[in-house]
Amino acid sequence: MIQVEGTLKARLAILLLVMVSGLGTLLMLEAFYSTQRAAERAYDSQLEAAALTIAESVQWEGSDPVVEIPAAALQILATRHQERVFYAVLDHTGQRISANLDIAIPAAGHEEAAITPIWRDLTQGDTRWRLHGREYDSAGWEVQDPVQIWVGHTVSGRQALASELFERAIIRFVAMVLLAGILMLLAMQVALKPMRRLRHQLRRRKVDDMRPLNARVPEELREMAEALDTLFARQRESRDTLLRFTADASHQLKTPLAGLQSTSELALNSRDPDEWYRALAGVHDGAQRTSRLAGQLLSLARLRHVGEADELMPLDLKNLLHETVLEWAQREVAMNHDLGLDRLPAEPMVVQGEPWALRELLGNLIDNALRYTPPGSEITLGLKKIGEHIMLYIEDDGPGVAPEVRSRLFQPFERGGRQDTQGSGLGLAIVDSIAQRHAAELQAKERLPHGLRVELHFPAAGEAS
Amino acid sequence: MRRVLLTTVLSFFCLSSSQSISATPLVVEAALDRQVVAPLLEAFEQAHPEIELTYRDRTTLEVDALTEAADPAPDVVISSAMPWQMNRVNQGHAQRLDSVQASEWPEWAKWRDEVFGFTFEPIVMAYRLDLARRMMPPQTHADLHTLLRTQGETLQGKVTTYSPSLSGIGYTLFQQDARYTARFWDLVTAMGDADTHLESDTRSMLEGLTDGRYWLGYNLLGSYAMVWAQQHPEVIVQVPQDYALVVMRTGFIHRDAPHPSAAEAFMNFLLSRDGQRVLAGQTPLFSVRPDVIGPYTAQRLRDQVGDRLYPITLNASLLAFVDPQRRDAFMTRWQREFNR
Repeated sequence: MIQVEGTLKARLAILLLVMVSGLGTLLMLEAFYSTQRAAERAYDSQLEAAALTIAESVQWEGSDPVVEIPAAALQILATRHQERVFYAVLDHTGQRISANLDIAIPAAGHEEAAITPIWRDLTQGDTRWRLHGREYDSAGWEVQDPVQIWVGHTVSGRQALASELFERAIIRFVAMVLLAGILMLLAMQVALKPMRRLRHQLRRRKVDDMRPLNARVPEELREMAEALDTLFARQRESRDTLLRFTADASHQLKTPLAGLQSTSELALNSRDPDEWYRALAGVHDGAQRTSRLAGQLLSLARLRHVGEADELMPLDLKNLLHETVLEWAQREVAMNHDLGLDRLPAEPMVVQGEPWALRELLGNLIDNALRYTPPGSEITLGLKKIGEHIMLYIEDDGPGVAPEVRSRLFQPFERGGRQDTQGSGLGLAIVDSIAQRHAAELQAKERLPHGLRVELHFPAAGEAS
Repeated sequence: MRRVLLTTVLSFFCLSSSQSISATPLVVEAALDRQVVAPLLEAFEQAHPEIELTYRDRTTLEVDALTEAADPAPDVVISSAMPWQMNRVNQGHAQRLDSVQASEWPEWAKWRDEVFGFTFEPIVMAYRLDLARRMMPPQTHADLHTLLRTQGETLQGKVTTYSPSLSGIGYTLFQQDARYTARFWDLVTAMGDADTHLESDTRSMLEGLTDGRYWLGYNLLGSYAMVWAQQHPEVIVQVPQDYALVVMRTGFIHRDAPHPSAAEAFMNFLLSRDGQRVLAGQTPLFSVRPDVIGPYTAQRLRDQVGDRLYPITLNASLLAFVDPQRRDAFMTRWQREFNR
């Protein structure tokens, strides 16, 4: 049964989505941090510029530094986002010379800024500030101490710039994904075209068209196309076999029917009751053979078409063989033969099987051996365990079968190259079918010095219950 | 002098008559003459009868001190001393106003959407007719300097201007003057030589002019002077022809405003078309909004005076004026030049 499990497109789309969202998360994280950094850098340089401008205006009056805060420095600090601004000028002891807000500068910051320019993030109340501290050399006539300049502003501009940059990054990414998605769809359309072509070709195919495919396919579809070709070849073969079988069967049925016709015609032309009796006996004989032939054909057809065996059960081959051979040995047809069993192994020989089918198999094997060997021949059946397999064999000391015919032995209507028997030629074909149902391997071998040996290798089952 | 003008008779009437038991109070501390701004306040009270307005008129430095003390905080703070207002906003004493009026307000007349300049008042010179009879009245700063140098004896004791130490607006104006040209200090020296009287507000200067104590006033608030000149024909107002500074009254809602929604309503009215129309039509404060028509609008003033208007824009550079060291340095120089 065909189960539809999603579509290739959906699978590709989901795969793409998963990959894109994974990749997207990483990209977004990267974009977030890099935009933050970019905004920080942009605005930190404003702080630097403002600090420098203030430093320029430091002048010494006697022993006191005096700062006339330049208006431009405050404008630079405020930026176009109109940040709140902070500035403080400290002397070398950390004393404030000038400041506009009472934002506390940490003592550690003061020491650190004496060595290198520093940056600090600070929260006062619910307002975030970014501070920059830096020491500048300065000298008056009396005193030559450095001054430290601290500037700072609120961070709304940074946040605005960062979110603006981040937004742009997101828009770029989303646009790219959408575009990639559309291109992917188009690519899928193109890529799946050979599949559509193949589908159309298969759909247009006539029911009885078993010729190999004639299609251009990409590498990925080659295996499928080849499998289809193999399937077609097997169907062709099986149909041919069926046709041959039907022809053969008709032919086989025709011969005895023709015999019946001629016998009955001869009898009808005669007035002699003895003739009639003989003819009637002949007709009876012929009808019996025809009926047997029809029965075997039916059973072969059934075996071949029922398909897989559905109810296999564990059973002991030893018992089955024993019973069947005993039954056949008592029959009239076996009177002139020496039908016997080899010594059977002590342990049970359990296989998975259908009892009726295995009985039929044994029957056919024995019947076959009886028919194709001269009276007085010795027919022996036996069982043997070989590793994981159980071997069932039957051998006779009859004339045997020529090697070139042996391979065709299990085909219907094959009589081992013999025309001198009453056999239908279906016995071994039935055996073959049953063997296949039991996953058993069937082999025909030569027995020395003369005769035929047929072996069946069953897979051994667990213990019989 | 401390003038505390309580609610108008009108609002008293409202309070006693109708439902106004639930009226929201609103306290406005302003350095803006009540008489000048009265039409605007009346219009506001009519538009918002549910708000009980208390308007207190003070000097710029008083307003600034009250803002800092915040005990209790006023709802709205109005002052013409732009650097002080900016300083308080920078310190975080203001709260943001989010409204259509605020967002539509011209960029140059607001800062951080917290403080708004809502008037456009030119800084002028004023003189008595007596002066015009004796000499050519000054039209530019250079004229004024020349006049003081050439007619120093005649004008001795008859010139007046703002005191930079007593008045925030006066200090701001001189700072701005000094920013434009170093020759300003020559003018200060000349004013010192002429024994110029330093007053703390425009009104005192105008009263002096009318009394005849003064003949010439420098750096007066044009809004007051123009109204005064209409009622006192002996006083002539002259917008300087070289450059005229323009100051803005700025207002913001205090961070700790006890009645923030009433304060927002007041600010929005101040910035609205209706409020600005009252300013343009019934007060000499000059409307900033370009879409308002009336005798007193920034646009009209520009048309009359041309490009010589130099508004002191609201930005962070104003903060430099209130830096103590800078202020000290300026005042030291002022004293030196004035007393030379």
